[in-house]
Amino acid sequence: MNVNRRQVLWAGGAIGASALLAACGSGDETSAKSPAGKGEKPRRGGTLRVGALGRASAITRDPHGTQANESDYLIISLVYDTLTVPGAKPNTVPRLAASWQASDDLKTWRFTLAKGAKFHDGTPVTAEDVVWSLKRLRATPSGASRLPGIKAENIKAEGTDTVVLVSDYPNAELPQLTRLTTFVLKKDTKDSDLGKAPGTGPFKLDWFRSGNARLVRNADWYGGDVHLDAIEVKIFESPQAMANALLAGQIDVASNVGAVAARTAEKRGDVQVVRRPNDMAMPIVMRTADGPFADVKVREALRLAVDREAMVKQVLSGYGTVANDILGTGDPAYAKDLPQRARDLAKAKQLLKEAGFDTSKTYKLLTTEDIAGLAESATLFASQVREAGVKVEVVRQESATFWDKTWLKGDLYTTYWGTNDSVVFFASKTMVSDSGQNEAGWKNKEFDAAYRKAMATKDAAERAKVLHQLQQIEHDASGYLLWGMADGIDLAGAAVRNLPTLPGYGRVQLERAWLAR
Amino acid sequence: MAGTLTPTARHEPAADSRTPGRTALYAAGVLARRLLLLAGLLAAVFAAVELLPGDAADATSERGESAADLAQRRQLLGLDRPVAERFWDWMTGLPTGDLGTSARGEQVADLLARPFPNTLLLGGLALLLTLVASIALGCWAAARPGGPLDRAVSASATGILALPEFVVAVALVLVFALWTGWLPAVTLTDSDGSPASWRMLVLPVLALAVPQIGWNTRIVRAALADEARAPHIDTAVLDGLPRHRILVHHLLPGALPTIAAGVATSTGMLLGGAVVVETIFNYPGVGSVLAGAVTDRDSPVIAGVVAVTGAVITAVLLLADLVRTWASGGRT
Repeated sequence: MNVNRRQVLWAGGAIGASALLAACGSGDETSAKSPAGKGEKPRRGGTLRVGALGRASAITRDPHGTQANESDYLIISLVYDTLTVPGAKPNTVPRLAASWQASDDLKTWRFTLAKGAKFHDGTPVTAEDVVWSLKRLRATPSGASRLPGIKAENIKAEGTDTVVLVSDYPNAELPQLTRLTTFVLKKDTKDSDLGKAPGTGPFKLDWFRSGNARLVRNADWYGGDVHLDAIEVKIFESPQAMANALLAGQIDVASNVGAVAARTAEKRGDVQVVRRPNDMAMPIVMRTADGPFADVKVREALRLAVDREAMVKQVLSGYGTVANDILGTGDPAYAKDLPQRARDLAKAKQLLKEAGFDTSKTYKLLTTEDIAGLAESATLFASQVREAGVKVEVVRQESATFWDKTWLKGDLYTTYWGTNDSVVFFASKTMVSDSGQNEAGWKNKEFDAAYRKAMATKDAAERAKVLHQLQQIEHDASGYLLWGMADGIDLAGAAVRNLPTLPGYGRVQLERAWLAR
Repeated sequence: MAGTLTPTARHEPAADSRTPGRTALYAAGVLARRLLLLAGLLAAVFAAVELLPGDAADATSERGESAADLAQRRQLLGLDRPVAERFWDWMTGLPTGDLGTSARGEQVADLLARPFPNTLLLGGLALLLTLVASIALGCWAAARPGGPLDRAVSASATGILALPEFVVAVALVLVFALWTGWLPAVTLTDSDGSPASWRMLVLPVLALAVPQIGWNTRIVRAALADEARAPHIDTAVLDGLPRHRILVHHLLPGALPTIAAGVATSTGMLLGGAVVVETIFNYPGVGSVLAGAVTDRDSPVIAGVVAVTGAVITAVLLLADLVRTWASGGRT
């Protein structure tokens, strides 16, 4: 029961974070063990039954609300379209917006809508619909963080197919922000009609009941061929029940089911384990503003004291990769060439000595059991750094207490992000001096300058150079110890083809999936 | 003539205590006590949620929501008011069927409208199965007191009643769904929100009922043993009445009050166990709503579940009381 609840919360937290921050979702590698041969031709027809996590008490139908349930988010994103969607390379690709263009100062962005885009009731999508939807999104409690820097009055229509967004400051990454929550509804849709409001997406709603839904193909979709006749979404409270349903053949896909289920399924020849790399970051945060970890040498020592391979192997059951203390590993701009930090206890001890770190004291590492493996990561970390002479006591806090009292404030704590794929996302949300969720209380002028420069640089190559510099600073001095990245894990029946392998919310893009049966 | 103590004779009411008015008054008294208990329980629920760290505004917030937004939502949900006041507001809505509004803005009554009948169906079937199986097993064991069969049934009943529902559930899924593939592993719902096939009910009902069958078989067996020591049974045996006739006409009616009490007690445990079993089988019942509501610190939802479940348990207990009063006749 406990495990189940925790894992459901994982989903909730992940969605909360990613939906709220309207951020990123892309990776540059795929590792699906799909048996589909490259030359296999998509077959038309069939109903794909997808299990997704969700809690009955948290069901929502509002595309601009808080989707705490994966099941709700999945249904919404199959019925409605966002302006852009996550891609592999680049990490932002067109959807309802076919193209976009920025002014020279990177403040004014023009999005041109896809030709032939229609709502499910047949009416064409106009710029007015998009403007109305974005304004509605902006007016939600977390609207300011979903569309940062864009005031409601600065969202305007230009003709029938162009939407103009004016940012308060230069923002080279603005199209990235429109990837996750910018669902477009028809202008003036009443709140009471949300349940049956027509969307523009690849599937139309057939029925919805208590978190379960049947969606049928939108033959008229502007985005290309949809192979499946229908998708049935089944809500599951626990990953274990979802895995059982898949193993018993009651569903075809168990979405985001986690490592425990994957271990069981690995032994079965008739089940595909789809790994989506760079899905979840769960770094350890060391407070830089004050307290025992304010000295950059102490933070460096801890980064050298951790045994990353052991962490990935034990905490993630091997379903993950070692990381290098830079957040945003799925970004095409991720600095792969920076040397990988490895364990070096001698150097760690020396740095602690130089910094005058008090090794006689015991330091508290605060954590919560929101997601699978988080508290376990803290425990393993504590035993590893003890070998470098640092005594750490792990304190598990109840979720609400953790987010209220520890997050953004603690000296040493664990955190997690389901939206881990863009370097800029983390820089803007958690590391720039004035960012609202500066988890480590980090203030670094050089870093701020690099960030501002990157955001105001139009030339892609030039921007990449500045982003590299930004990552170097982050690697050397930030408050994060990112030991590894967890894979996202879906299970699928043998007949399922072409499931998405992108991290984060790339996983809801099921419009290209098909069934070989 | 000796040995003519027929059931009819036993059920002859003692004139003073068996008038309809008295029975109704007694029932009303019991009902009032039970309702008072339920009200106390609901107050305890509100108090318990209050003691949990965090509140509904925190629990349902998005990560990074600003303090101002949180404060605004706290006010909207009425969380800035004292818990006693919120409880009073909620309670006064209860007689009109208003169960309040959840932290996510849904009417609690709507939230429970679909899952609660599903849970009642699950619990009801489990209760029925418990009743039938435990009486059958109990009688079977009692037929040859002290024999190997009796010992086997009693011992396995004791073993089974100690098993928590989730152990039974996991074992059932493993054997009947994952290994043999005979039955579905989880419950999927139809477009009307109820289980898509009756076969999906089998395992959850079994998982709920098995521990209760163990428990009630012991009760039935013990009640029959007690009853068998009564003088009229000796007489019946001496009269040479057939064994099954003694069982059905003489032993069971006497044991009925005890059996009724036992099964009524099981109602509470069945509905409690449903929370766990529903999660394991993904059954669309009130258990999942409750589990989510506790995570959300959503007092109106938790109290709503407790209120409707409590009402059902109260009704069953009352029924059991009436059965006992009726079956025990004048003797107490």
